[in-house]
Amino acid sequence: MGDRSVPALEADDLSAGYRGSTVLDHVSFVVPQGAFAALIGPNGAGKSTLLRVLLGLVKPTSGSVRVFGEPVGAATGGIGYVPQRVVIPRGFPITVLDIVLMGRYGALGPGRRPGRADETAAREALASVQLADQIGRRFQDLSGGQQQRALIARALAGHPRLLLLDEPTAGLDTAARARFYALVCELRHARDMTLLSATHDLDVVSDHADQLILLNRTVHAVGEPSRVLESAAVGAAYPMPLGHVHGGEGV
Amino acid sequence: MTEFLSYAFVQRALISGVLLGVTCAVLGVFVLLRRMAFVGVGLSHAALGGVAVGVVLGVSPLLAGALFTSGVAWLIGWMGGRGEVSEDTAIGVFFPTAMALGVILMSFSPDYRQDLLGYLFGNILSVRSAEVLPLVGFCATALGLLAYWFKELLFMGVDEEAARAAGVPVTMLRYLLLTLIALTIVAAMRLVGIVLVSAFLVIPAATGQALARSLHGMLAVSVASAVAAVLGGLWLSWTWDLPSGAAIVMMSALMFFVAVVSGRGRGVPA
Repeated sequence: MGDRSVPALEADDLSAGYRGSTVLDHVSFVVPQGAFAALIGPNGAGKSTLLRVLLGLVKPTSGSVRVFGEPVGAATGGIGYVPQRVVIPRGFPITVLDIVLMGRYGALGPGRRPGRADETAAREALASVQLADQIGRRFQDLSGGQQQRALIARALAGHPRLLLLDEPTAGLDTAARARFYALVCELRHARDMTLLSATHDLDVVSDHADQLILLNRTVHAVGEPSRVLESAAVGAAYPMPLGHVHGGEGV
Repeated sequence: MTEFLSYAFVQRALISGVLLGVTCAVLGVFVLLRRMAFVGVGLSHAALGGVAVGVVLGVSPLLAGALFTSGVAWLIGWMGGRGEVSEDTAIGVFFPTAMALGVILMSFSPDYRQDLLGYLFGNILSVRSAEVLPLVGFCATALGLLAYWFKELLFMGVDEEAARAAGVPVTMLRYLLLTLIALTIVAAMRLVGIVLVSAFLVIPAATGQALARSLHGMLAVSVASAVAAVLGGLWLSWTWDLPSGAAIVMMSALMFFVAVVSGRGRGVPA
């Protein structure tokens, strides 16, 4: 698994944006291997853009970012990605297994069909998110929480060392959010993964995360959840009282 | 039936129709997944502009149509990819513009109006021997490309961002899909005509979607229904002297309605 002292993620004076507008401005932080880091900040703070930089979809305009000590492009094989949601056209018969197998496509390359090993990995991943019995169902017939677990399984099927989650619990109720993060943390320990999750679920996440990264164009605070939430930086990053932030509403 | 099949022009029509039906059915799966039904409608009408350019310039209308329609498809893809306007809006702009160009060019060469009408409604029974081999080549290439990139096209249709992150060449595949749609439309317009060709890209795949519970099932039903529509439509056209393109599309639509009615309730969430 390589040198454990090398950080899973290391952003150094990173700036990035789209067509001349700067979204991330001199962002620096470090996430150690095996940690669960939650990326918090108001809408438009640049959380999704940061994840897109880590996925190699947006190029930094300056500064650098390293994943397990490697430049972004070299490490993408070890990264799993869980989006906010996936919308399939109504009635389209894509099964849960089809979706999870997609986590293997990157390594397979074009012209090759998934084989027995890929299906085994997909089944294992589904079992680990407690969806083994849903394997043949249409993806869109699952509940919102089940769909998110299937998307985690898709990421897990590629055996990632780093899991990037982009507001994965948007649209889920409070109980489902708590279950989701409990499962994610369990998987982190079982599979020795590092997690970075963009989220607005401050209450739930602060129970599970090792580290909060407070982002609003730039990093306003990094550290243990309780320290970051109590810091004055929260007020600067969020344009509303801390009570609202803590309630997890309206953020 | 034996007499029907013994004519060379009927055999050519069957071969061409079945090949294009299969190509359209497979392509249609991605057209539905990426919600591109309107792209098919738009490009088929844009093809009229290309045909008119060919007729007026005295070059092969099919070649001119292929180049022009591919060009329009790439423009739609380029504008949609830049994110300044949606793909739908881009199609809404280019579809009437290209068609208007076709109508204006038509007015310069009244002698060719009859030819253009032929492209509007097609005639599968008039396919010439020399046209069959290039069509076989095109369909084999298109199906080969779709098979080679099948799972990547699927991934891209489901989750473009995750596909890109996994190293799928999303931009290239978007253009490949648009080009294949454009060229299939041009290849099929001699058979069913510009007005009806977009139906061929949507209806068989929609029939597959209505009946199947899996992706492979959808592909199998789509292909089978396209082939059945071509065979049944040609037979109807022969028996009752109906326009062949319209008969094929009507057969296809009939199968879709039967599929929707018989498949009702299968997709209800548990």
